[in-house]
Amino acid sequence: MFLERLFSSGKKERDVTEKMRRHLELLCDVCSKFKTALENQDRNLMCDVIDLERQGDSIRRAVISLIYEGAFLPFLRPDLCKFVEVVDEVFDLLKDTATYCRSTELPEPLRDECVRVALLNFRMSEMLLSSFDAMLKNYDLREKALAIRIYEKKIDDMKFYIIDEAQKIPVSDFWSGKILSDLISGLTSISDVIEDASDHLQIINISMR
Amino acid sequence: MWMLLSGLLLGWSLGANHTANVFGTGVATGTVSYRAAILLTAVFVALGAFLEGPKCMSTVGALSRLTAMDAFHCALAAGIMMSLLTFLSFPGSASQAIVGAVIGAGILSGTADFSKLYKVVVCWVFTPFLSILASFTFYRLFRYVLDMIDASLTQRNLIYSVGTILIGCYGAYCLGANNVANVTGVYVGSGVLSPFAASLIGGFSIAIGVLTYSKKVMMTVGKGIAPLDPFSALVAVFAGAFTMHVFTQVGVPVSSSQAAVGAVVGVGIVGDIQTVSIRMLTKIVVGWVSAPAFAALLTCLFIKLDRMGGFAAFFEIFR
Repeated sequence: MFLERLFSSGKKERDVTEKMRRHLELLCDVCSKFKTALENQDRNLMCDVIDLERQGDSIRRAVISLIYEGAFLPFLRPDLCKFVEVVDEVFDLLKDTATYCRSTELPEPLRDECVRVALLNFRMSEMLLSSFDAMLKNYDLREKALAIRIYEKKIDDMKFYIIDEAQKIPVSDFWSGKILSDLISGLTSISDVIEDASDHLQIINISMR
Repeated sequence: MWMLLSGLLLGWSLGANHTANVFGTGVATGTVSYRAAILLTAVFVALGAFLEGPKCMSTVGALSRLTAMDAFHCALAAGIMMSLLTFLSFPGSASQAIVGAVIGAGILSGTADFSKLYKVVVCWVFTPFLSILASFTFYRLFRYVLDMIDASLTQRNLIYSVGTILIGCYGAYCLGANNVANVTGVYVGSGVLSPFAASLIGGFSIAIGVLTYSKKVMMTVGKGIAPLDPFSALVAVFAGAFTMHVFTQVGVPVSSSQAAVGAVVGVGIVGDIQTVSIRMLTKIVVGWVSAPAFAALLTCLFIKLDRMGGFAAFFEIFR
């Protein structure tokens, strides 16, 4: 095992980090698609978001399998798995929100703000990818983590404005109100989960310094 | 030759008890599997004993003028003491147990040389301090080197996993080189064995202890003392091994447990982390104090029993 590890020069570990990077690139792609779909009210593009979530699932499974086949020190494995699972939660939230968007029309007074939230979510996902790259090179992540926290705070502020505006919109029945509420809740929760993922990256970074 | 049996018992218990100081943190943090750890330790302990073991051999035997039978009693008392500590999962000190036993035998025969004990005790006192200093220095040095290399996450992972194994092997080598004198040093002092034969037999018995009964203490040391990160674990093992290697050159067998705990404390100081649990430290300190005292008492008891015709009559059965 020792010689295998020495001569492979961390091949398993490289496979894991490549897959994790692919997972984050996919997240950026999904966030971008979601923002465009919301902007254009494109239901077909929302279907793509739902399909891409399945790809994300399969990458998550592959990463976790590789980790438990012996990649990385056991000391680090739980944090790496947790990070991948948190990123997968973002995919789940995006899928759920996309499903709500397909079944309801976003009211005009909320559209611009919701699109801005989706754009900030996309920016956060890009920052998370950049943070991951920095972690691989063992750079300091504090500035990137701070940027993510600032984005999250912005979205939090916008969330209260959207909720205030949403209260003024008349709803025809219970279900249309419920779906709109869940859509807003899903859209504004994505940033919280990305922030959690960023915190996990920092834990991994510190523990391997 | 039956008189070597007690030395073999001591070697076995030392191997079972002290592997923890070498690979305990590595196994507890999952860097090395238990199986790989004991195999590597057994090989390198025997190698260390064979190559550098004779350096410390004369020190133990010179503390008192021992007869062959006294040597048997001393090793038996220290062996029983160490086996008891192993059974109770106390990381005890074989050096202190055997020195306690030799001094006990010397007091009874009136040949105890306290002027030589002085050198040994000074080395014992300096062991944890040198270990703290070594781990403090190596922590800073290795950190600087790692930062200079600017290694990526996967490279660091490789450095830590390979480094823990290599340093563990060095630790096992130093354990064998320094502590084999505890096992068979009394036989050299009493003229039963030559230093070379004593190193060979001692190294072999320690290796058997490592292979057969080291898991329990390894887990106690690895998980009980400090929840270390891979880098700190690597530095702690290296500093502990380095300390033992220094005292091997001085010719005094010291406690690998003291060296290991000192190294963990040093890592805690430089890393500004809480590394040692008070409960575990108390357990260790109780072991340090009680091992020489009880070993001395046991030796006196065995010698008295033997003078009443106990052991010799018992072993006559096997002749």
